[in-house]
Amino acid sequence: MKVSVNWVKEFTDIKLSTEELVSAIGAQLGEVEEVLNLGERYEGIVVAKVLDVQDHPNADRLHVCNIDDGGVTKGISRDGNGNVQVVCGAPNVKKGMLVAWIPPHCVVPSSWDTERFTLEAREIRGVMSNGMLASGKELAINDDHDGILEISDKVSAGTALSEVYDLDDTIIEIENKMFTHRPDLFGILGIARELAGIQNIAFKSPEWYKNARAVVSQGEELDLRVSNELTSLVPRFLMVPIAGVSVGPSPIKMQSYLSRVGINPINNIVDVTNFISMLTAQPLHAFDYDKILELDGSREAKIVLRHPKKGEKIALLNGKSIEPREEAIMVATPKHLLAVGGVMGGSATEVDKHTTNVLLECATFDMYSIRRTSMAHGLFTDAVTRYNKGQSPLQNDRIFSYALSLIKDTAGGRVAGKVHDLKEDTFRQHDVTVSPQFVNERLGLKLTGNEIKKHLENVEFEITDKRNELQVMPPFWRTDIEVPEDVVEEIGRLIGYDHLPLKLPLRSVAPVQTNPLLDLKSDIRDILSRSGANELLTYSFVHGNLLERAGQDKQLAYGLSNALSPELQYYRMSLLPSLLDKVHPNIKAGHESFAIFEINKAHDKSNVHEDGLPVEEERLALVVAADDKTAPKGSAYFWAKYYANELLHRLGFDNLVYELTKTHTPKYDTDKQALAPFEPNRSAYIKTANGILLGIVGEVRASTRKGFKLPAFTAGFELDVLMLQQYRGARPYRPLSRFPSTHQDISFQISQTVSYAELHQVVGESLERARSEHGYVISLSPLDIYHPEHKNNLHMSFRIQVTHNERTLTTTEINSLLDTVAEHAHTKLKAVRL
Amino acid sequence: MTYSNKKIADVAAELEKRIKTLDDKSSILRATELRALYAEIPTLPEEKRADFGKEINVLKDYLQKLVDQAQDEQEAAEPIDVTAPFDRNIPKAERPRLLSSKFGSKHPLMSELERVLAIFYRMGFTAVESRQLDDDYHMFETLNFPEGHPARDDYDTFMTSEGLVAPAHTSTMQNRVLSTYKANLEKGEAISVVIPGRVFRNEDLDARHEHTFYQLEGVYVDEGVTVGNLIATLKTFLETYFSQQLEVKTQPYYFPFTEPSFEFAISCPFCKKQGCSVCSQSGWIELLGCGLIHPNVLKMAGIDPEKYTGFAWGMGIDRMVMMKQNIEDVRHFESGKLEFLRQF
Repeated sequence: MKVSVNWVKEFTDIKLSTEELVSAIGAQLGEVEEVLNLGERYEGIVVAKVLDVQDHPNADRLHVCNIDDGGVTKGISRDGNGNVQVVCGAPNVKKGMLVAWIPPHCVVPSSWDTERFTLEAREIRGVMSNGMLASGKELAINDDHDGILEISDKVSAGTALSEVYDLDDTIIEIENKMFTHRPDLFGILGIARELAGIQNIAFKSPEWYKNARAVVSQGEELDLRVSNELTSLVPRFLMVPIAGVSVGPSPIKMQSYLSRVGINPINNIVDVTNFISMLTAQPLHAFDYDKILELDGSREAKIVLRHPKKGEKIALLNGKSIEPREEAIMVATPKHLLAVGGVMGGSATEVDKHTTNVLLECATFDMYSIRRTSMAHGLFTDAVTRYNKGQSPLQNDRIFSYALSLIKDTAGGRVAGKVHDLKEDTFRQHDVTVSPQFVNERLGLKLTGNEIKKHLENVEFEITDKRNELQVMPPFWRTDIEVPEDVVEEIGRLIGYDHLPLKLPLRSVAPVQTNPLLDLKSDIRDILSRSGANELLTYSFVHGNLLERAGQDKQLAYGLSNALSPELQYYRMSLLPSLLDKVHPNIKAGHESFAIFEINKAHDKSNVHEDGLPVEEERLALVVAADDKTAPKGSAYFWAKYYANELLHRLGFDNLVYELTKTHTPKYDTDKQALAPFEPNRSAYIKTANGILLGIVGEVRASTRKGFKLPAFTAGFELDVLMLQQYRGARPYRPLSRFPSTHQDISFQISQTVSYAELHQVVGESLERARSEHGYVISLSPLDIYHPEHKNNLHMSFRIQVTHNERTLTTTEINSLLDTVAEHAHTKLKAVRL
Repeated sequence: MTYSNKKIADVAAELEKRIKTLDDKSSILRATELRALYAEIPTLPEEKRADFGKEINVLKDYLQKLVDQAQDEQEAAEPIDVTAPFDRNIPKAERPRLLSSKFGSKHPLMSELERVLAIFYRMGFTAVESRQLDDDYHMFETLNFPEGHPARDDYDTFMTSEGLVAPAHTSTMQNRVLSTYKANLEKGEAISVVIPGRVFRNEDLDARHEHTFYQLEGVYVDEGVTVGNLIATLKTFLETYFSQQLEVKTQPYYFPFTEPSFEFAISCPFCKKQGCSVCSQSGWIELLGCGLIHPNVLKMAGIDPEKYTGFAWGMGIDRMVMMKQNIEDVRHFESGKLEFLRQF
């Protein structure tokens, strides 16, 4: 939103310097994006009178002009009469006209933002030319480059151009996102009011805005009927026919207003509608009345507010043709569409230089409908920007009559038919009652009722004192004041939030509870990073083929309906595939071996809360991988398992059970999806001693390995973090013995069909019995697993460490313990002690 | 598998039979019948193409699955004893072990989030994690965004086909947090909660923009909470986080769920307002959005806005970490590159 400070000053005093003003706007209105010193662009440019025009001796189209600049320009060559010679190529240059002269050493304003073009005194085809006579385009006032700008205002030669057209201006561009609920701030009038309020100055809206004047028809020659089929979408619609306008360029003053706030002047009718829109934030639209009659082959204009019929199209002012969405608000006749209401006009009824009769519209449209239509067709106009903030329908008549008077001033014409004002009583201003205490409690201030009153009255609220309370009536243009908090915001903003006293809230010394799940995640992060693993984060959204490569069922994954790309189309159902996806690139980047892990969430459609929301699975996944050259011997499974064991041990899980996944499929789809990438022969469910499933560890299936280009040495695990949280325990402390401990190794030869866990358990049983009978303190650890070539049996060895809290153990005791262990293992598993 | 199109069903039956006889199962994906089906798509009337194409894809996916299964069976690894601590015949020195801890690292976003959280714990806030998949009710409705409100456009939200929402801000948790902790108010204690979490915006990726990023929401409700409390709380946090005194300033803003609403900026902690590349030479850094919680939001959670007021804020973590660590490209965070990760 571009704000012209000069325009603002027409409505209120600005007592602040530009710098102060910019910082006040930033703090109390909205972010300032750019501050533009317009005045410097016009420095030195003056009004000059053309005294004489002669043909250029050496060029057909050029003229040699003698101009009078009132003698104000310094440092140039003048003739004996003090006049200046300029060569000019414009066809419209003539004796006696007032023009804008850019003297030597001045910059052509239109070149200011690009490569600045500074003029000089130089010969053109052998004739000396001092600077140039400028066109509207060169002056960046309009787009006209057919001739030089003719100044018809009554000014004397030598007057600075900026003085004539208010170009000595500062333009402040304000980010308008913060005005989402403030349609009034999309106009200079609203900004001026706000700036008055910020300076604690009482603002007075101009008379034409404050008090509506009835529009009086001065003739009946243009027939107009208006009907509204969309009363819920068009709460107010004003329209009137105007006869006898003469369309042409607006006065330069008007053009200057528009160009300063970034609007291109078009013609006097369209310029008035734009001027009003920039001033009051109320868009207007003008139709060529005769073109409507011509379209319909009718003798009266029958305007209907309706939806488009199926297949109806409209050619728009931007040159595009659309078939408007079914629910779009159309300004139409029964037969033809004329404009997409509140969005863009149609080209068939555009006002042009031949137009003599116009229909002027000043309407209020439903902001939601405007927004949907704008989005559906990609039409983003100044009107849309304003309409989708929700204008007050209470201002239309005032604006309308002001617009009519401006049209009359610039294009002539008179109201020549019925004035239609179709209104629905959908918006009424209502008062809000608020006490100074309520305001002070929220702002931390000690304002009196009178101070509050003053701030609100500055921006034209009407305040009635009630006992201890203020009855606040918002002005008719404000649509955002609904609850007392809105009044608090108003006062806070007008005072400036940065002026409020800062004070921390007070609280009791009771400690807060930390979040146990976040604590656990933090512990996991600590443990794994200290174990040489790297935490990474990957996207929650994955490609459908990533799910497929992982062997997962895409149908169970939540899919995005507006994904940025197929890469990011599905919510992932487990983390492991995302990690697998990062293995190959890292190997390629030269990392020989690594462990990566992620703690994040997974979702799938099978796992839904009662309220319909998906359960958020809290997961931890880790992958260990090594390139083929450096891969250690043996199955990668055991490396992943080692990481899982280390982590779980530190979290207080011991005596874990590992079950081959091939032996049974999980009960729930969620677990099935987690299992999908794992190789059934080389993966295991990780369970607690009580059978609680914590997760899965293993190598990946052949097709997954190929799909992700994984090295042979790749394995990982995926754990359920909520289960870890629920079942994590404290690791019990074992008091130290005062007596020496001793260890003995024991080896067995055993059938291949017996698992390590079975033998470990049987040995453990013997040791446990010995503990309870003799009070030994025992620990058991694996030493070796050896498979002799071509044999069907294995050798497994353990180390048994024994001590006692009350005495030193004898060799006999130890030997007897080992004998018992061997005997039990033999009985149970036919294990032979070696 | 059943196919509604007869032609596709026939091809499916034929190919399912054939794949059993093939040695190279993957050659089924190159079957002439399958190619012929694809070739037929452009010859169909426009309105039939999509359905026809979809069914061929279903068939192709199914065949791919059969190929994968066959591959998995053929190339299945030899079974191992999953209960063992290490593989057979592996010398002690080559058995599984942890990698050297010097390689290990925590993700910079996560460790920074932990630091942030630790400060808020000390300040008396508890923490709740944000959701990654939510509904319109929590993302918009309970936050005073009416259906079709233009303010919704400011949140380029991802939606699932089921109409669920990938939250575009951690405020999606406000209603839950307010409802859960309102018992505090009855006990005469404040609601003071921070909500870290991953959020999503439908935004094209470049060095400064991510569609996936982290935010930390804060919610504080009690009797007599003022704007001054809000500013003081944030200022105190930021001064602690950056270990220095800062100047702060607010800028009016609009959020439907706070009134008044602000953008909050601090004096640049890296150049002491002298102007540097971090603050784009302005001396100030805009860090977050905040405001007093809108009475409608309190009401939606069953809290009486006449009696209680509160403030809320939401700040992006990624940018703070980028500034602090001098990270040049936001895309590194989710890249999984070890060169990046191992620096932290």
